[in-house]
Amino acid sequence: MSSAPAPGAMLRDNLWTNNPIFMQILGICSALAVTNLLTNTMIMTIAVVGVMGMTNLTVSLIKSFIPRKVRMMVQTLIIASYVIVVDIILRAYLPDISRALGPYVGLIITNCIIMGRAEAFAQQNPPLLSVWDGVTSAFGYMGVLLAIALIRELLGFGTLFGYQVMPEIFEPWIIMVMPPSAFFVLGIVIWIGKAIMEREGAPA
Amino acid sequence: MNKQSFGYTVLFTAVVSFVFVLALAVVNEVTADQIQFNQEVRLVRSVLNAMGVEFDDDEHARQLFNDVEQVEENDLSLYRYSQNDEVLYAKQYSGGGLWGPIRGHIGIRADAERTLGLTVLEHDETPGLGGRIDEPWFQEQFRNKRLVDGRIRMGSRDGQGDFDEDSGEFDGITGATSTSEAMERIINNHLEEISRALGGAS
Repeated sequence: MSSAPAPGAMLRDNLWTNNPIFMQILGICSALAVTNLLTNTMIMTIAVVGVMGMTNLTVSLIKSFIPRKVRMMVQTLIIASYVIVVDIILRAYLPDISRALGPYVGLIITNCIIMGRAEAFAQQNPPLLSVWDGVTSAFGYMGVLLAIALIRELLGFGTLFGYQVMPEIFEPWIIMVMPPSAFFVLGIVIWIGKAIMEREGAPA
Repeated sequence: MNKQSFGYTVLFTAVVSFVFVLALAVVNEVTADQIQFNQEVRLVRSVLNAMGVEFDDDEHARQLFNDVEQVEENDLSLYRYSQNDEVLYAKQYSGGGLWGPIRGHIGIRADAERTLGLTVLEHDETPGLGGRIDEPWFQEQFRNKRLVDGRIRMGSRDGQGDFDEDSGEFDGITGATSTSEAMERIINNHLEEISRALGGAS
């Protein structure tokens, strides 16, 4: 990225051509862990959108004051603070969802996409553009996770967002509920994504 | 001041840490009451549900819970509640599931012949499989169930639940045999303890 990237190009880049999951292969751990129910995936990725936007904003605002040596430490501190805030808010106002997500909210801290964008983008760019980058990257992440969750919930439970959509005679695939299935589904999603890109002749 | 100097780095780190930790402390302080309230309500609802006592909302549940006594029957700590001349008991149970501890409440009549209900508060079972012990259909099977030889056995029916109050059995979860067996073991261990405690008292 050279000086002042265009917001439109950034959107396309973060959602598709440079998608954090299937191009950068970042944030895989959570893509495997929380994708067997659409509702949980949705809440978790919304939390990531918020945390990434705020983290990029904060890093960008204070970037000129951060000494190089402790740069990454400060980023981690910022990310961790926002994630803990999200966790506390969920526990206070959405206790059922907080219980369903369990330890995964706390694990947002270790989501490599967040630190990746803070380090690669927010450290060099102005605040508003950094927020935009964080939010669009998180949407790219959200899109892929929702696609995986859609397949897993549909085949694993026969439901979508908890509503029965498959006919009664449908036998749920138990493997889709278990973590290993996320590997297969993620692999297939990456495959399809890349195949479409290749057909488009996207710049490498 | 040189931003790469040792002194500045230490100062900056200290200030940044202080600011963020202070912000977290404030958020924590502001929501502490709400979080404690949520936990309390969850416990109250669980105890009342296990006893089969009906309530309208959280506030009503908390009101009813004021009349629930915590008693010791032969050294066993139980919740006791009187409703329509009937004495209801509930006990907090816990035991090992497939992946981690399972905790909740089980309710039983004073004559220890029938259960009143079962709730699951905490578990680490596989979501969608063993995790289904926290679904209403699974717990409703333990509503007013007759104990056969002081026990409730796991039967294997269609995985839809066994709602026959006199069968003395509950239906396990399809694809989660280990969790179902763990529930059978935990529940019966606690039923035995409760019956012994209540039997000894009469």
